Amino acid sequence: MNPLDGLRADRRRFLELAGLGAIAFAGSGLLAGCGDAKTTNGPGTTGKDQLKALLPSYVEASNAIKPDIASVQGSNGFFSDAVFLAYPASPVTTATGIPGKGGTYVATTPLWGAIPGTSGNSYYEAVNKALGANVKIQPSDGTNYEKVLPTLFAGDKLPDWIQIPSWNMPKLGFADAVGKFADLGPYLSGDLVKAYPNLAAIPTSAWQCCIWNGKLYGLPVYYGGATFNGMPFYRKDIFDKAGINADEIDSPDKLAALGKELTNANAGQWAFGDMYGYINHMFKFPADPNRWTIDADGKILHRYETPGHLEALNWQNKLATAGYIHPDALADKSQDAKQRFWSGKEVISGDGPGAWTGDDSSSGKAANPTYNRQAFKIFAADGKPEVLMNPSAGMYSFLNGKLSADQIKEALAIANYLAAPYGSAEWLTINFGVDGVDYKMTDGNPVLTEKGSKEVATTYQFLITPLTPTTVKGGDVQATKDYAAWQGDMVKYAVKPAFYGMNVTEPAQYAKLVQPMEDTIKDVRYGRKPVSAYEEALKSWKAQGGDQLRAFYEDIRQKYGTGQ
Amino acid sequence: MRDGGRVQKRTLRRADRRRRFLRDRSLLLMVIPAVVLLLIFNYAPMFGTATAFQNYSIYAGFMHSPWSGLETFRSMFADPLFWQSLENTLVLSLVQLLLFFPIPIALALLLNSVMNNRVRTIVQSVVYLPHFFSWVLAVTIFQEMLGGAGALNQALRQHGYATWDIMTNPDAFKFLVTAQVVWKEAGWGIIVFLAALAAIDQNLYEASAVDGAGRWRRMWHITLPGIRSIVVLMLVLRLGNTLTVGFEQMLIQRGAVGRDASEVLDTYAYYYGVVNANFSLGAAASLFKGVLSLILILAANKIAHLVGEDGLYRK
Repeated sequence: MNPLDGLRADRRRFLELAGLGAIAFAGSGLLAGCGDAKTTNGPGTTGKDQLKALLPSYVEASNAIKPDIASVQGSNGFFSDAVFLAYPASPVTTATGIPGKGGTYVATTPLWGAIPGTSGNSYYEAVNKALGANVKIQPSDGTNYEKVLPTLFAGDKLPDWIQIPSWNMPKLGFADAVGKFADLGPYLSGDLVKAYPNLAAIPTSAWQCCIWNGKLYGLPVYYGGATFNGMPFYRKDIFDKAGINADEIDSPDKLAALGKELTNANAGQWAFGDMYGYINHMFKFPADPNRWTIDADGKILHRYETPGHLEALNWQNKLATAGYIHPDALADKSQDAKQRFWSGKEVISGDGPGAWTGDDSSSGKAANPTYNRQAFKIFAADGKPEVLMNPSAGMYSFLNGKLSADQIKEALAIANYLAAPYGSAEWLTINFGVDGVDYKMTDGNPVLTEKGSKEVATTYQFLITPLTPTTVKGGDVQATKDYAAWQGDMVKYAVKPAFYGMNVTEPAQYAKLVQPMEDTIKDVRYGRKPVSAYEEALKSWKAQGGDQLRAFYEDIRQKYGTGQ
Repeated sequence: MRDGGRVQKRTLRRADRRRRFLRDRSLLLMVIPAVVLLLIFNYAPMFGTATAFQNYSIYAGFMHSPWSGLETFRSMFADPLFWQSLENTLVLSLVQLLLFFPIPIALALLLNSVMNNRVRTIVQSVVYLPHFFSWVLAVTIFQEMLGGAGALNQALRQHGYATWDIMTNPDAFKFLVTAQVVWKEAGWGIIVFLAALAAIDQNLYEASAVDGAGRWRRMWHITLPGIRSIVVLMLVLRLGNTLTVGFEQMLIQRGAVGRDASEVLDTYAYYYGVVNANFSLGAAASLFKGVLSLILILAANKIAHLVGEDGLYRK
């Protein structure tokens, strides 16, 4: 007998089940449809005059703790992070009493790392006790977060509180999505925020990122006074051995010239890692999440069209074809870039600013005791440096629009507690849990215990944070000081790119333009294709919608300004 | 009279069906969990293919998204990147069919001829092992061995020879991918052939040996005919999977060799459908692939029947 005959005999049942499946499956679509069948398809952004009425007032924290190294005021309102070399000895309490009223809130946050267990988790218990509410954190794998979000929206299964990183927003068509969340303007705009002192101490630039469609929706997460992607780092120990003075490197040409000197392939050492993502300030083109700039004639240009971007591609293409970039970097093995830098296989490599502090120096010194990471001082091809800054906040949390006014007030009181500044007693509880159980003070800084490292993860912090200072994380005080000095110098060149922090939602039909361009850029920067291939791709980018997209932004400029 | 015959026949057939049902009831019961799984994970989601004919929005759901007819397919067929991905898929599939498919069969024959049980078990375990590695690990091992800074090239470099970085060479990518598949999956692929070989009646070998047939004659007249039907079945299944050439493997190595060499139908659906949140296009590309695969598997099955084999089922 054929095994499939059995199936055939049961066909009627089969169809019934399939029908049930269809109804169950369609149901989710049906629910989503009832909520919002019409989509607005607006650009999502807000004009400057409207912003004034929306933005919460800024009130400097009255009980702020004096940092070891003060923040440096840079150009255009940007400022460097304050620096604490040790945790303040007698932490103050900034929020009065217990903020919650016993409410329960399910909160979804992304998490890059192992998800801690919930049962018997003394960290969760301690924070929820301090909050006076049951905030049920449901962390979701950060790398797959963008795949989870559309299903939450499509199935209308949004939790009470959710964090959404800005880089996941284009996919959601966020100007449409944001309508599902609570408008926080009636609770926080203007002087209303003064009811929540820690929220009032959040810089205005961070609040500006939280506005869509002329309404204040978001709570800012891990914002800063000078947020940007990163810069080229070098191994000072290897430079010293080769007799190279990094301060003399003040142009891309001089940097490229190090390629020959520092590459010794036989010994497994290459001069460069993949630099493309960290040289935009040298060549003055906006890097993600910024994409637009305005040239001297007032014309709006996409990053792809700027002369600086072409120069940058040309620069890296030459390094790649000359054999000065590590072959693994050219094989797109970016996940191992840090290891290559630590082990000295790459002498100069781009990375984010966070690479400098943290565990970097202990990891590097494990490979080589003389390990010393430093960054080049800011320089530019034309001798007039400019650093195009990112929006202050790159992640935001939102409250579900279905919450009642009382629930929103309770959640905001909880947010006020979570936004308690560095140096406070609350900050220790939120970030480290219980003293003696989850952490111990070591050399003046809190360090997680073995139990703590299993229970504590970045969870509550992804709902809202205070302004984050630079601190000593990996035990290397000098690295922290070096970074602070570098950042204090960098903010002098800080500039706002076009449409800065305006939360523009581009029409969905332009999404398809990106991938072919990014593929070609990779081909060129890895030396597989000549720069002319990029110029060809740019022509079709313009013809297939790039020029229309420019017109879309021209319209934004007319109606809402450029955010600069 | 004729009508009466038909009614009788139908009654007979019905009785026959009831009898078969009663006879096989425990088998049918056992098949239910698998059928339920199939229904939930393979059949129910099929209703989602409706999105290929819609201008789908996650906020409207597929009950309320506006219909767009064949518009998505029209723009997909007008996209040169789609045709490039189809071409890559077919070329890779052909290369794998020629260079990968025969290897597990040859390996199985080879192992079968090894008399020492211990050697056989060891070899079998060693060639199975890579199947359990993830593609990330497999590609990393290849990179460490054959990459520009890998073991092979560092040795060449240190001895003054020219280097050869196959890991980032777009022209050699189809062979690299096939080599990786051979390394990872050939050992696993031999299981089914070994089972077929074990089912061959040993008496046939003894009888032919007595008749004076040598090693090659026995292989040609007994072994190969013995596994022919399973080879044809595997070939039919392989042809049905022509358009599936390893999504993960392509995704991981896309950056190393570029889109032109590595874009296949599955990655096209992923990058232009899922990544861009253009779910209609993703569904259209996948539906196109599904329909084409169905046609291929039916055609291959038909050919199997024509040459007198069972194929997927006995006719």
